[in-house]
Amino acid sequence: MVVVVVIVLAWAGCVKLFGPARRTALDRFVGRFAYRLVGVVELVIALALVVPPFFVAEGVAATVLSLGFVAYLAYARRVRPESDCGCMGGKGGPIGWRSFARAWLLVLSSALAALPASPLAMLGVLLVFVALSAELDRYWLLPLRRLRVRLSHPLAGLPSGVPLAAGVEQVERSGAYRAVAAFLRSDVRETWTEGDWRFLSYSARFQDRSATVVFAAPTDRFAPEDVQAALVDEATEETLWRFTPVPLAA
Amino acid sequence: MASLGRRRFLSTAVLSGAVVGATAFGSVAPEQAMASPGPELDPSLPDPNFAEGRISAITGSMLVVTGSDRTLHRIHVTDGTSLWKLRPTTFDAIKVGDGLYARGLKLEDGTLAADSVWVNIVNLTAHIAAMEKDVLHLDHHGDRVVGHVVAGTTAAVYNDTPAVSDLSLLQVGKHVQVIGAWRPDTNEVDIATVFAAA
Repeated sequence: MVVVVVIVLAWAGCVKLFGPARRTALDRFVGRFAYRLVGVVELVIALALVVPPFFVAEGVAATVLSLGFVAYLAYARRVRPESDCGCMGGKGGPIGWRSFARAWLLVLSSALAALPASPLAMLGVLLVFVALSAELDRYWLLPLRRLRVRLSHPLAGLPSGVPLAAGVEQVERSGAYRAVAAFLRSDVRETWTEGDWRFLSYSARFQDRSATVVFAAPTDRFAPEDVQAALVDEATEETLWRFTPVPLAA
Repeated sequence: MASLGRRRFLSTAVLSGAVVGATAFGSVAPEQAMASPGPELDPSLPDPNFAEGRISAITGSMLVVTGSDRTLHRIHVTDGTSLWKLRPTTFDAIKVGDGLYARGLKLEDGTLAADSVWVNIVNLTAHIAAMEKDVLHLDHHGDRVVGHVVAGTTAAVYNDTPAVSDLSLLQVGKHVQVIGAWRPDTNEVDIATVFAAA
């Protein structure tokens, strides 16, 4: 099992020592120098483990170090839960159950470092390390999810229709809107469709009088130039003004 | 006026209605709107005609709102107020605990007569971490946000082209901007519009 511990510690040590220094929860009381220092300690222990002979003290050192990681994670989660753990460099995201599971797995592997293990078992443990490392998701999890979406898109086959946002955009790009925009007081108050038209009503105010502006936008085409508008007084049911699109002169 | 009758009246007015009051109403040329000066605002003070916060009580048509800076706002909702909660909606859709942004006119008694109220509205820049049926899992700067697709309401805007209801061009790992309605006290939103490159 010592091989697993060596690989994980060497990997973690290298990214800490040679990668960009990450902002972690430790910044607060030891500064970023400590981040590099932890990398050095990890590499030294990994080197000691890999160079024969194997002393029990080396396994104990690795176990103590990984217990320290668990303590650090618990501290970081309490003090700055949104921070990246910085364990393996990269972007691991906030500290969650995966970070803790990985740290405990390292504790366990270090404690059992002296035990012989078959190559298959070691490969298995290493794969679990990879699966628990959010920093590596983009190399295996993201491509898998992309593949799954390419095979069958989960959001395909939704009912089709012209959404309200398309109607609002037609209105806001129209000549009718430019003519009355200064009097509008509200956002879209109500919207409904009838035949090939989507209607949108807004509250308006002009000369100390409350009014309603209603726009009609075509639903069968995107044509802001065809948007029509009327300014009405709902109390008296009078149409006070109407905007009819004028075709551009040739 | 009943809602259906009113809609019919408004539809007719915009498409074929006769203009009866044009002369009494006067010009709607933009110059006229600009001619009436707005109130002078002191740039060092908060905008008096704006309010934000969580609804702590609803009395009649009045919303009592606690701002994020603990300011207490009282907001009048009238027939002319536009209400948004994922889509244009009605007063009965608003619940205690909802968050809101409101714009209107501050009255002398300190209440705000709202012109527009946007309930639970959020604007997120995120990337799509995963997708499943009717759900987009969003990574919002390291935090996971569950975005629910609402059939018939959720729209997508690809490359600044007009909005469509087809979401099948969204890709895992791509950056998106989402306008939606937050489900209070959760990490879930209902998606109104998702902006993406395709």
